[in-house]
Amino acid sequence: MKIERANILVVDDEFGMREGIRRLFEAQGHRVETAETGRNGIDKGTAEEFDIYFLDLKIGDIDGVEVLGAIKAQFPEAICVICTAYASIETAVETTRLGAYNYIAKPFAPEEIQLVFDRAIERRWYILEARQLRAEQERRLLEITQEKSRIRTIINSIADGIVVLNQDEEVVLFNPQFPRLLELDKELVIGRSIREVLPEPYQELIADIFRQKDSLQALQQEFIIHPPAKLVVMANTTTIRDDQNRLIGYVSVLRDISELKQLELLKSQFVNMAAHELKAPLTAIQGFLEMVVDKTLGDEPETYDNYLRRSLERSKTLITLINDLLNISRIQAGKIRREIERLDLSQQAQSAADFFANEIEKHGLTLETEFADGLVIDADREEIQRLLTNLISNAIKYNRPQGSVTLRTSREKGSARLDVSDTGIGMKPEEKERLFEEFFRAKNPHTRSITGTGLGLTLVKKIVDSYAGRIEAESEYEKGTTFTLYLPLAER
Amino acid sequence: MKKKIMMVDDDYDLLQIYVPVLEKAGFEVATANTAAEGLELFKTFLPDLVMVDLAMEHFDSGFVLCHRIKTLPEGAQTPVVIMTAASHETGIRFSTQTEEERKWIQADEYLDKPIPPRELLAFIKERFFETPESQQH
Repeated sequence: MKIERANILVVDDEFGMREGIRRLFEAQGHRVETAETGRNGIDKGTAEEFDIYFLDLKIGDIDGVEVLGAIKAQFPEAICVICTAYASIETAVETTRLGAYNYIAKPFAPEEIQLVFDRAIERRWYILEARQLRAEQERRLLEITQEKSRIRTIINSIADGIVVLNQDEEVVLFNPQFPRLLELDKELVIGRSIREVLPEPYQELIADIFRQKDSLQALQQEFIIHPPAKLVVMANTTTIRDDQNRLIGYVSVLRDISELKQLELLKSQFVNMAAHELKAPLTAIQGFLEMVVDKTLGDEPETYDNYLRRSLERSKTLITLINDLLNISRIQAGKIRREIERLDLSQQAQSAADFFANEIEKHGLTLETEFADGLVIDADREEIQRLLTNLISNAIKYNRPQGSVTLRTSREKGSARLDVSDTGIGMKPEEKERLFEEFFRAKNPHTRSITGTGLGLTLVKKIVDSYAGRIEAESEYEKGTTFTLYLPLAER
Repeated sequence: MKKKIMMVDDDYDLLQIYVPVLEKAGFEVATANTAAEGLELFKTFLPDLVMVDLAMEHFDSGFVLCHRIKTLPEGAQTPVVIMTAASHETGIRFSTQTEEERKWIQADEYLDKPIPPRELLAFIKERFFETPESQQH
């Protein structure tokens, strides 16, 4: 409870007074400043807050009372001790009223002023201590406010809707996502009953929570927002307990799981379609074989030649279908291990064309090629070959006798362009539209005996998309089809 | 006069399997590959029985064709059998539980694919034509 080095200002026109006080307190380790006029005293005394002011009441230029007033105006908590030769009761009252801490009558002995100083400095210490406590409290308050606003900000920026309810079903806290997710019309206000705010369909959800009360551990509720019925929301509710484990409320976190649901649906649809597509060739194979085994159409073995050939065809399709399915699921899972290398698209097209040379001839078709130089792409060789294989084999399968297959590569802006054309059966506009759909196959009299999985072009598109490329189809029914794909050229 | 059966399936091979069996049993058979072709064929062929695959151009093409036939004046009394590989195993299910659904789909029978040719023949004879051979002569 001591100020080791107090700052003291003495305002007195008497040299002896100034020096006497300076010597006394400097010897005790304090700092003493002096002013010999009232003007000077006001300047110094208001520029800096001293711990103790000793003010003479009778100074030449300005009245000491005025000096006191100026200092107190600047520093209301300043400790001012009035030194006066006119130790009258009126003066004392006057200065105390103005905020002087104490007064001492001149002349005084060093012990007298020491006593006054000691008491004043103790008072000053309390003032400083209180001031510090106040500052600390203010800082803490500020911190708490900031902490609250930080937590508020965090809760508000969570994408999930959050609502906290007390035991009386009243809303204690919520973030903006909560009413937005539920598309509430009524304004949500803290303290309001949740049942008043929620529309009829959600009442049962709340009832569910409050029915379980204390036994509720974690409750998962899935529901659809009406309207629109597209939005599926998952609500996870848990209890909030105090430090004695008493139930004080509930917190519900609501998440929009529409996308997840949509994905689940797509996935199960794909699986169902795949199963259906796997059954189709097996149904045919089984039917053919049953006829052969049962000799349904008589004993002549030749009768069944075509059936056996078709069984073989269909079983080959089945294998291809299974491979395609595996490839698609690998691409979709992002599990494909790619070896990206610099490839010349024209060279790749040439080697794919070479691979199909026999097949093309066998079908009585002619192959035409027109390859541009320097079409370098960064891609996985196997994927580019698969893509070319699917397109060329389609051009062969869906062609006409004496038709042709044309492979053409060229440069177009920043892309390598590949055209695969046939002179075949073409597509109707409604067939073209569904071309890249999984398992879609054009069904018309021309496609009757052509086997396929309905996944070839789906795969091609998935591969092209994964290289940020593009695929287009031009087709005229009974005239032919051209597939054009663009792959980004490699950067040099 | 021979009884006439129209068979609609987008899988050409299945027609190759069932048609000779039915013909050998004394039926006159005509085929179509799509629901649209099937509807046109129905109007000219005027079959005594329609066998139609469920999933052709679309997953419900068979239902649509069945509905269209049943709403034709000449088709209202013609029995329609829907053949489908959709079942519990594939997860593709259709429901004929409610009156409304039955009224709309109006199919007389459902058959699960694959069905052996002999069984198909036996089913058709028993359910729709008790003695086709006798009428044949």
